[in-house]
Amino acid sequence: MVQKAFARRVAETHEPEQSLDRKIDRSGQAKPGRALERRGAIVSGTNGRFVTDGPFAESKEAVGGYLVLDVETMDEAITIAQSSPGLAYGGSIEVRPVADECPLDVRERELAQEKQLATV
Amino acid sequence: MNTQNHNGYILLFRGNDWLKNLSSEEKQKVTDQWMAWFRRLTDEGKAVAGNPLEREGKIVSGKNRVVSDGPFAESKEAIGGYFLLDVATMEEAVAIAQECPGLPYGARVEVRPVAAECPVASELKHEAQFANA
Repeated sequence: MVQKAFARRVAETHEPEQSLDRKIDRSGQAKPGRALERRGAIVSGTNGRFVTDGPFAESKEAVGGYLVLDVETMDEAITIAQSSPGLAYGGSIEVRPVADECPLDVRERELAQEKQLATV
Repeated sequence: MNTQNHNGYILLFRGNDWLKNLSSEEKQKVTDQWMAWFRRLTDEGKAVAGNPLEREGKIVSGKNRVVSDGPFAESKEAIGGYFLLDVATMEEAVAIAQECPGLPYGARVEVRPVAAECPVASELKHEAQFANA
């Protein structure tokens, strides 16, 4: 019952969500984005010896889809995220800057520089 | 689980708390291995996109569209990056995930099939068919 009600609400909001996609597409701000199936696997452990089912379809933290945006600032990205109709029904959107290079490398360089400064 | 999927698979690299236990040399080693791994998958035509994410970001949620800071720095669940794979089966995608150089140190890889259409939309279609039958 709850699910039915939810499905109805989603039916009402799904159309706007699609047009949001199209709108962003037209403005040239969106690169490919897709929905993800609700099933999957988690691989962990040395040589990936643990393969478990997951994430759970009803999980609050599960990722349902993604959109890569071609915008310059966090503010622009947040504004686009805020225009998602799913928010009103309990969805949330994680907004993350794509890195030029691996943040690990950057952190290593910073540490090396700090070390160098410390020894001067 | 091993049905064909022509939309490909995504690998989500979860957790970056495992990194803090590594020495600089180990971090460098893992990073180099990771880059070589991605280059090889790209050369083989199996990886079509991939990006690391910055360790900062925001969460937008709720009716009021509230913006809050996310715990991305040292979290077990935080996503550190992704690869988009052009392979046809879950089995192949899992086999690639098992090559991840971070696994021996505690990294976890989430493997998800990319959907042809939004799963919510296909569920609605299914429900409508069921109701009409």
